[in-house]
Amino acid sequence: MGAFQWLMKKITKVFGHSTNALFYTLLNREILKEINEITKKEEDSIAILKEIGKRAAYESCERHSSIFKFMPGSPKKILEYFEILWVVVFGTELDDYSYEEISKENSKYNDYVLKISKCPICAGYGQDIEDTFDFSKIKNEKTEGLACGLSGMLESVANYILKIKRNDYRIQIIEQACIAKGGDSLQFICKIYDYKQWKELMDSKDQEKTTIDAYFGEHLEEEIVQETKLDIFDKLQDVISIDKLEEYLDEPLETIKKRVSDIIRDKLNMEPDHFFDYFRNYEEDMIRIIGYLGIHLLNEYGGILEKSLKNEWVAKVFGYLFKQVKEMVSLFIPLDVIRDYNELLVNFLEGLAPVEMVDNIKQLTGKDTINLLFEGAQMALENLGIAFTELKENIWEELKKEREDGLISSESTAVDKTRERVPQIINIIQEMLMIITDILTLPIRIFISESHYGLKTAINSVISEEEGLYGSIKERFDSIFDQIEEIRK
Amino acid sequence: MNYSRADLTQTDATMNQMRNAVYELARFMERNGTVDLKVKLRKMGKNIARTYIRYWKPTDQVNNSNLKDVITTIYQKILNSSVSIEIVDVEKLVKVQDYKCALCKYQYDDVEIAGCEIILGMVSEIINLINKEVKDVSSVFIEPFEVAESRAYGNKVCIQVYKIGGRD
Repeated sequence: MGAFQWLMKKITKVFGHSTNALFYTLLNREILKEINEITKKEEDSIAILKEIGKRAAYESCERHSSIFKFMPGSPKKILEYFEILWVVVFGTELDDYSYEEISKENSKYNDYVLKISKCPICAGYGQDIEDTFDFSKIKNEKTEGLACGLSGMLESVANYILKIKRNDYRIQIIEQACIAKGGDSLQFICKIYDYKQWKELMDSKDQEKTTIDAYFGEHLEEEIVQETKLDIFDKLQDVISIDKLEEYLDEPLETIKKRVSDIIRDKLNMEPDHFFDYFRNYEEDMIRIIGYLGIHLLNEYGGILEKSLKNEWVAKVFGYLFKQVKEMVSLFIPLDVIRDYNELLVNFLEGLAPVEMVDNIKQLTGKDTINLLFEGAQMALENLGIAFTELKENIWEELKKEREDGLISSESTAVDKTRERVPQIINIIQEMLMIITDILTLPIRIFISESHYGLKTAINSVISEEEGLYGSIKERFDSIFDQIEEIRK
Repeated sequence: MNYSRADLTQTDATMNQMRNAVYELARFMERNGTVDLKVKLRKMGKNIARTYIRYWKPTDQVNNSNLKDVITTIYQKILNSSVSIEIVDVEKLVKVQDYKCALCKYQYDDVEIAGCEIILGMVSEIINLINKEVKDVSSVFIEPFEVAESRAYGNKVCIQVYKIGGRD
């Protein structure tokens, strides 16, 4: 599994609100039954449930639009990442499935058929007396099945991504086979249309449109993305999509330098040395900016960081963690390792930035660079809500202070809950520190890889993806996500 | 071989979009002349309970001594919610304070119902179905009373209130 898929799955699982899957499935059934009580016509009920699914997903996408800016921007890529779409919409793993490409003449993109052998929505349908929606009453063979709400959600999310990535293509997702209707699997067909064909398709579906309009009074119209909304991240999103993570891991330093040069030329319309010349004699600020931007880029993934830091306690814990890491770096990381980082930066800038600037950076010690990066990161975290000036020496003093002030509930249940969470919190901190230690050994590996095997080999420690550095970091993050899930329960 | 419903009790699903779907359904129902929306949502909850209990139930009997624990377990296992419960003996009410209600998160200007009416119907029905088969006078039966507060109404938490009563 690629890094992007893994990351998206983990984030969705940890930060979405989950319930038991049987509750989800039965709620879906009840919604369909209620619709059918009004329409009294099964075909219409299915069309309306699909429309409800579309609208529900669109609302979710609108609320979390920034996370989609870094999703893949082409229809083909989106369908390749169907597994992620499934996790985003349904929140559970997509088990056994197959994927077939059906060639389409005179078209840029082919159609895709996804066959999913196990469908949670249809699980056990028909075995309980409350399963009263009768699929045998459906005469039109093209009518979708019990997962039509889900197909509406998937279509809505896929098209929202294309819209936000300013792609002119749109995807139609239709549930072709349904286990509750007697099929042997759940099957979706995904058809890709250019915007003109899409409009024509929508206009041609008169009967469906009439049905929807009759019950809803209005059709869900796609909002046009305004050009004025473009910001620097919009400009850069095509080249820094996180789905390209695997590609970056494959490329050694020289290729990354070339790619950065291309980005500067394409997106900012200037030569790299002209761009870096702006920072000549302001090298320290430039390094601070890297730290600053690093945090803000992190926050771009759904604004999760900023939202989390709105909670006073999360902000405080994060602040203490940051302070601790800042101190630990100089305490535990050998100066040689820090110096390697500085050398890596110099190597990176050579050929890209003016010679004078590279010489100035060579004057900085590794420790200076790390401190400057942390200063920049701290400024960004202050922007996002951490009041560093109000933090105590350590978190235990903070807890003591709050107890004296009576701000933490004295109810035994609250104390018990906090106590239960302490081991998880300590584990998270420990894992975070181990990750940082792991990452800080990276420069040496990169230099070795530059002359021998390339960055990916270095990350994977020549052994395997799972056993190397990448595997180690992934394992630690798995553990952190598990701890967070435990705390959230 | 597809999943069974028993299999589904062992896994989780993300509710974000299904929660939105409940409010879309409410809009659809209101627009198409449904007047007793509260009753309809509670009925949906009851139907969910009737199916659900065939695959999982928290205990074999609910009485005054374990009522709080049973309700806590139902909320935790089915809805992944941690709740605090208060029993008001005088009024015979059970007040459940749900900080992260699975069906309510945002306030909508055009919908005047809380999604957790469904939960009210489901939880009461699970308890009543458990006790239906038990011939014991100490068994407790509850019925939906009201959603006193909800995040869907702009409150910070959802407070679902049940009335303690006799057999159906």
